[in-house]
Amino acid sequence: MRRKIAYPLATLGMVGSTLVIASPALAHGYVSSPPSRQAQCAAGKVADCGAIQFEPQSVEAPKGSKQCNGGNAGFSVLNDNSRNWPATSVGTSVKFNWVLTARHRTATWVYYVDGAEVATFDDKNAIPEATVSHTVNLSRFPGKHTVLAVWNIGDTTNAFYSCVDLNIGGGAASAPTSTPTSAPAAKPTTAAPTAPPTTDAPTTDAPTTDAPTTAAPTVTATSSSSSATSAGGSWAAGVSYRSGDVVTYHGASYRCRQSHTSIRSWEPSMFTLALWLPL
Amino acid sequence: MAAALVLSLGACGTSPETPPAPVASNVADIAAGSTYNDRDVMFLQMLVDHQQQGLQMAEIGASRATRSDVADLARAVELTQTDELAMMKNWLTEWGKPTAVDKRVSVHADHGGLPSTTDAEIDSLRTVGKAEFETAFLNLFLAHQHNAVEMAQLELDKGTNEQAKQFAERVKESRTDQVQQMLRLLNG
Repeated sequence: MRRKIAYPLATLGMVGSTLVIASPALAHGYVSSPPSRQAQCAAGKVADCGAIQFEPQSVEAPKGSKQCNGGNAGFSVLNDNSRNWPATSVGTSVKFNWVLTARHRTATWVYYVDGAEVATFDDKNAIPEATVSHTVNLSRFPGKHTVLAVWNIGDTTNAFYSCVDLNIGGGAASAPTSTPTSAPAAKPTTAAPTAPPTTDAPTTDAPTTDAPTTAAPTVTATSSSSSATSAGGSWAAGVSYRSGDVVTYHGASYRCRQSHTSIRSWEPSMFTLALWLPL
Repeated sequence: MAAALVLSLGACGTSPETPPAPVASNVADIAAGSTYNDRDVMFLQMLVDHQQQGLQMAEIGASRATRSDVADLARAVELTQTDELAMMKNWLTEWGKPTAVDKRVSVHADHGGLPSTTDAEIDSLRTVGKAEFETAFLNLFLAHQHNAVEMAQLELDKGTNEQAKQFAERVKESRTDQVQQMLRLLNG
């Protein structure tokens, strides 16, 4: 039984206008690939990053900084070189991909290597799309370098900062072909024990495919679908489940209907009937 | 009502007097309740619009991705968010509110934009070359799901309807974890 409530149009108009007021706070962006330091944090590849882990798009600070955090004290972890930020092996021509969660008018996009400006893209105050890519020639900088990518906003005094650790000319271009198909998604709430690549790892020349991280809790999905007794393991987040896998959750059994890697809130429930069939 | 549904999930219809109804009812049967404010309405209206776009993207992702891990994620998102969409529309209808927002990005673009993806960007996923598809899809969907987290946070801060807030918490958790998963898929 549904009660229909008639509200005056003025209420609707107010709801509409609230959208405008709410939006300026949502202007954000970061470099997603090759992964910036904040992207490494959000992916759980580098642990204990603090708040930036949940909002990699928020490294906003006044223009003109050469620091990875742009001078934003809340994200000083990004300046900490002792964190052993994994360096992504790339060719000499690198395509940087930005993910934007709001489209501020844009003055310029500027790339620095070791503090020196190497490329500038002038957007002439245009509104960008949700994803922006730039290809930058870095052949003058072979080896390990940290690239600072800056998004200078056109209509505010601020910029967004992303540091990207690269091993330039050290390997095939960015295509992550040798990726383990089901990377375990460690729960971001707990400080996941995602051991950073051990310090003695030979990072200089070897194609750094982040192998160490896959040693994270890869609870292999109990594909014991043969046993009719729902003897499958308990449901957990970060597990690659295949269609047909059986899990238990709060005493009940469920069969996986769609292969996926589990995340928080995708546990068997009324909300996830498309993923888990109650048995 | 919600409690009854949960029970029916576990009990598997053992009581003989119950008609052979579909074993598991779905979330579209959850009622929102009559206590709500403008923020609740706004959250649902924004997310309905946002999620309709997201479903288009997920569908393209599931059908065009070469990598099975990317296709699996896209399909799982598509399935779960289809159910969520039906639920949200029901709540808005229950409240007598429109299930659509006026106009999206163009109006507010100068202010930083009502977070949304343009139709042209979604269409570009249909035409981008196969070799670049995964990167294009993951980046665009990353931006999209980041926006969902932001919307959910606004609801958690200012909403009053309990069902809507619980749902916002689910949105925040699931999309945050999807972001993590997509960044891993993107970068290995």
